Amino acid sequence: MKKLSNGYSRFISFATALLALTFLSGCDLNTRMSTFDTKGPIAEAQLDLFMLTVWVTGFIFLVVGGVYVFAVIKFRERPNDDRPLPSQGHGNPLVEIGLIGASVLLLVIIAVPTLKGIWYTHTTPNNTYSQLGTWYEGDDLAAEAEEEILVIRVIGYQWWWEFEYPQFGINTGNEMIIPAGKAVHLELRSVDVIHSFWLPRIAGKVDLIPGRANSMWIQAGDDFDTWVEKNGIEGGEVELQTAYANYLKTEIHNYYYGQCAEYCGDSHARMLFRTTVVGDDEFADWVASQKTGHTAPEDKSWDEWYKTYDSHPESLSGDVNEGLKLFVGRGKCIACHSVQGNPRALGVAGPDLTMVASRQSLAAGWLNHRAEDGSIDTEKQYENFFKWIKEPDVVKPGNLMWKSNGNGIGELTDPEDPDKIKLLTDDEVRKISLYLQTLK
Amino acid sequence: MSDTATAHHEDGHKSLIIDNKKLLMWLFLGSDCMFFGTLISTHLIYRKINPTEIDPTVNLFSLELTSFSTFILLMSSFLMALAVSAMHKGQIKSFRRNVIGVIFFGLIFLGCQVYEFTEFVHLGLKLDTGTFGSTFYLMTGTHGVHVAIGIFWLICMYFYSYTGKMDAHESAVDVEVAGLYWHFVDIVWIIIFTVVYLIEFIGK
Amino acid sequence: MSTTVTETHETSTHYGSHVLKPERSNLGLMRPDHGKSVLIDWLTTVDHKKIGIMYGVIALFFLLVGGVEALVIRTQLAFPENDLISAQRYNQLFTMHGTTMIFLAIMPLNAAFFNFLVPLQIGARDVAFPRINSFSLWAFVAGALVINFGWFLQLLEVMGLFTASGPTAGMNDLVPSMGWFGYAPITGIEFTGAGTDFWIMGLQILGIASLSAAMNFVVTIINMRAVGMKMMRLPVFTWMTLIVSLLIVFAFPAITIALAELMFDRVFGTNFFVTAGGGQPILWQHLFWIFGHPEVYILVLPAMGIVSEVLPAFSKKPLFGYAIVVFSGAVIGFLGFAVWSHHMFTTGLGKVATAAFSLLTMAIAVPTGVKIFNWVGTLWGGRVRFSAPMIFALGFVWMFMMGGFSGIMHSSAPADAQQQDSYFVIAHFHYVAIGGIFLAVVSGIYFWLPKICGKMWKGNLSLWVAIFSTVGLNVTFFPMHFLGLLGMPRRTHTYLEGFGWETYNLVCTIGAYILAFGIFLLVVDIIRCLRSGEPAGDDPWDARTLEWTTTSPPQVYNFARNPIIPARDALWEHKHGPENRKITYEPDDGHGIHMPSQSWMPMIASLGFVPLGLGLSMMQAGVAYMGYVAIFGLLMISLGVALWALEGPGGYHLHPEEEN
Repeated sequence: MKKLSNGYSRFISFATALLALTFLSGCDLNTRMSTFDTKGPIAEAQLDLFMLTVWVTGFIFLVVGGVYVFAVIKFRERPNDDRPLPSQGHGNPLVEIGLIGASVLLLVIIAVPTLKGIWYTHTTPNNTYSQLGTWYEGDDLAAEAEEEILVIRVIGYQWWWEFEYPQFGINTGNEMIIPAGKAVHLELRSVDVIHSFWLPRIAGKVDLIPGRANSMWIQAGDDFDTWVEKNGIEGGEVELQTAYANYLKTEIHNYYYGQCAEYCGDSHARMLFRTTVVGDDEFADWVASQKTGHTAPEDKSWDEWYKTYDSHPESLSGDVNEGLKLFVGRGKCIACHSVQGNPRALGVAGPDLTMVASRQSLAAGWLNHRAEDGSIDTEKQYENFFKWIKEPDVVKPGNLMWKSNGNGIGELTDPEDPDKIKLLTDDEVRKISLYLQTLK
Repeated sequence: MSDTATAHHEDGHKSLIIDNKKLLMWLFLGSDCMFFGTLISTHLIYRKINPTEIDPTVNLFSLELTSFSTFILLMSSFLMALAVSAMHKGQIKSFRRNVIGVIFFGLIFLGCQVYEFTEFVHLGLKLDTGTFGSTFYLMTGTHGVHVAIGIFWLICMYFYSYTGKMDAHESAVDVEVAGLYWHFVDIVWIIIFTVVYLIEFIGK
Repeated sequence: MSTTVTETHETSTHYGSHVLKPERSNLGLMRPDHGKSVLIDWLTTVDHKKIGIMYGVIALFFLLVGGVEALVIRTQLAFPENDLISAQRYNQLFTMHGTTMIFLAIMPLNAAFFNFLVPLQIGARDVAFPRINSFSLWAFVAGALVINFGWFLQLLEVMGLFTASGPTAGMNDLVPSMGWFGYAPITGIEFTGAGTDFWIMGLQILGIASLSAAMNFVVTIINMRAVGMKMMRLPVFTWMTLIVSLLIVFAFPAITIALAELMFDRVFGTNFFVTAGGGQPILWQHLFWIFGHPEVYILVLPAMGIVSEVLPAFSKKPLFGYAIVVFSGAVIGFLGFAVWSHHMFTTGLGKVATAAFSLLTMAIAVPTGVKIFNWVGTLWGGRVRFSAPMIFALGFVWMFMMGGFSGIMHSSAPADAQQQDSYFVIAHFHYVAIGGIFLAVVSGIYFWLPKICGKMWKGNLSLWVAIFSTVGLNVTFFPMHFLGLLGMPRRTHTYLEGFGWETYNLVCTIGAYILAFGIFLLVVDIIRCLRSGEPAGDDPWDARTLEWTTTSPPQVYNFARNPIIPARDALWEHKHGPENRKITYEPDDGHGIHMPSQSWMPMIASLGFVPLGLGLSMMQAGVAYMGYVAIFGLLMISLGVALWALEGPGGYHLHPEEEN
């Protein structure tokens, strides 16, 4: 038996060492998608509940585990043990009932806040501070939307996200913009298979299920009252408002990482998204420019540009013009993509490309060009555009940009011979990339 | 058709509560309840989700025909009970008479179902007609397959009875087991008839 | 011990000869009884012990297959943006890993124990329906073949020798790739190829195997108990078998129907899960988890049964609170049908349903906790011997507790919104599956293998198995809790750098290899025991239950004379209890022991599922003539069943000469 207990201690020290190694090497809990580093009331409520379960189960673990280890050590068989048989007790009903009662009590500790949490996270609030009329600074809000909170319709596709803002009639892909400190209602829809919307630092997930109208609410950062209460700060209204604005600006305005959490086919792992949390004014600006969209290159009007394009396209020269020509012509991009402003780019099968160059990632978050300081690394952006357009099937296997009923990049034909596949050349890809980089 | 390790020779002392084969059939029927439960609830759930998809009371269900086939199936159950009782008494001829009756009525029921299906397809209700077509045919079809298997089983028993190997002791259990199955299939039909057919006519 | 034989038809005649000759069945065909060929003997056997051994061997094989799949998965994930395997291959691997481990490894391993032990534990000569038992085994083999056949086709596809045409033209996923719970609509014909059809057919066949086996065990346990083996004297393992079998009987129909509906969607264009036709994909989730949650208990209750046998045996004490352990098992089984939606907290069930399932899930933690209290209570005041089975059983209690605690964390629905579909869930159920079920099964192997093969373990390799597997599983799965909480979703074939997941993933992968080495050592230890173990004797562990009164390995008829059971823990009471609790035996009635005849028919009938399943699946991939293959399979099944019914039960009598 001596050998065995040696083995046990060896085993325990080995295991402890390995686990300790794990923690020492990676104990940073403030990572991009950490559920510990919460930035919103929902994620916070969820974290609080999680920590409660950790404490309660940890307590049970210590007590039961302690008794267990004690029993194993204390009642072990000794070498040359010739004691008479242990007492053959069959159990003790009182002990059993007591333990059942105790475990029920411990579970009630979890159950009550859980119920509260379920009601809190499942009920979209309609607070004054979140209503569009209160904070939205643009001048183009429909009257009936004044008393609504911001609604975003999240639509899942294999394997990208569409974010529609019905109150503003705008639409974007893969990078969502929301205002700080306001409740936002998300309508979750899917057109193909099940996806799941997960923005860990702001809220836990809810699934996007075809044929089902799911919804959730999220909020980045605390609202003013909660913030004041939580921090217990005293002071005059103006002073507090400034401090609150500063809190939003320094702690909440940020770039958040999200991902599809329900297996949705081949490239499930590459269905990511981003959320930028901004101030009220910045949000209004973004809505405005998203609505206006883009002009043709060199600030021409689209009518003018298309007139030239239709009559003598060769006169539209320069990389950007060439890129746009490919974009609306041989590249067939507009079969699936739309760009606000451009009257012929009206495709709906793929993400809206309005201001695509202002986004800090491509291909549903898989190709990134966000620099350390939060700005866009344009060189990297170019590389990413190039890579994505050149070989979408490698970046995201199975996706429709490569093969889509004859409109995919992998199905482009030779203009001279429509039966022959002729893919985009490197130079053509370069030009399209350069054009797309102007959409900001 | 028997398959017990302890056929006749040695299990007088076993903790026999109910005959092995009967218990097996009861378990199968319990399981089968869940099968039909799933099918019927799928149907009802989709009726609730898609209530306007189809109105089967208009130009589809024929209450007369289905009531008739339901009655026929009920009567076959009655004959089945007579057959079981005959076998218990060792009256092999009476057993054969009644079993033939069950088979005959069962075939009428199946015939009605085949006719009904053909008729429905002509009237435009196909397998892929919304969710109603899907749930209706899979559910009633599964039931029809159960009836068909029952008929096949009884036909086998009928011919087996001519081999002279059937006796009031051991074979009565076999017949009883088949009877259990047949009654169950009958009961399931009554439920289907109620919640799939009759319920549609409420308030019409 | 020698035996003589009489044939059923002439019960009174004793054949003096020791050479057993096969008899003809009612059909005039030769029965494969007492055949000379070992192979035929195993293929046609109806002996629950041989069937149990075959279940065990096949399940261990698939455990290794699933393990290799897991290692490839972990290797792919060791580094960010790794491209060892493609996304599609990865998706196929995790799908098959889950399916294999659940349906082809754990369930049949449990079935192996049920088969070998239950008749011995209740004092019976065999199960109630020996030929149905053989049918269940071979149907399981058929299902395993069908579900894995896609690998072969996929290999042909990679080599350029095969392309899917027909309904799934253009889809090259020939191995299932939609996750082991196949959420609609990704299983639809427009999203996945023939792999899904293999999965549907395979699971359907495995369902038939499980259902027939389960019904058989319920009848066996209720009807075949020896005299005096009252229900409340049954060994806990047998009790758990009974509960699990009932769970199978009532839970499998839900998935059978769901699979049938899915098959109709794919083949006949019905609209069960097709949104465009009015179907609701969410229905699949409900049907699946109404089966799937009881399935969790189908997997884990036998493990609890094993541990409830091992702990008392090595503490020299009865199980603490036997009645409550049994009752809590039944409550778990019952409540298991009422908590399915806790797998669906993020599907938008609504407040009330979410709250109800949240509370019910917490409620089911109580009977589970009760079992742990009772195991600790069993150790308390006992004499704990650290023999190999006990080490694993003790490990089980500890690891299962950890898996249970993360389960309680899931029960709080809002917290689960962060954990659902993340690596936290992976950590949770692997603690239950490996830390719980696997350790318990290994404990069972160490405990009962001496009974099964008659040989004793050699040396202390078991300790190293324990060290490597426990360390391995903790190093693999403990960091996954953190991975999940740091936002890594499950089922992703790769991940970007910079999310703080790199180190954890690498550690997990190292752990997986440590665990694999532990399992490798287990296989080595088993082989060593089988090759060169010393004779074990009837009762090597000073154990408590009836199976230890038989020889090791047990005779084909189990008990020469039927035992009469005076108490719970019959053997223990016999050895250490008062005089009035000795096991006695029924007098020899001179008839001899009735043995069932072996038969080809169950195997023919169940192997007919192979052409049926493959034919129907490959039709979907556009392979020619597959309709005929399917019809051939159907005919084979019908023929097998018909001949089975007509050949008659047969049987012969053995007359063991008692040694004393």
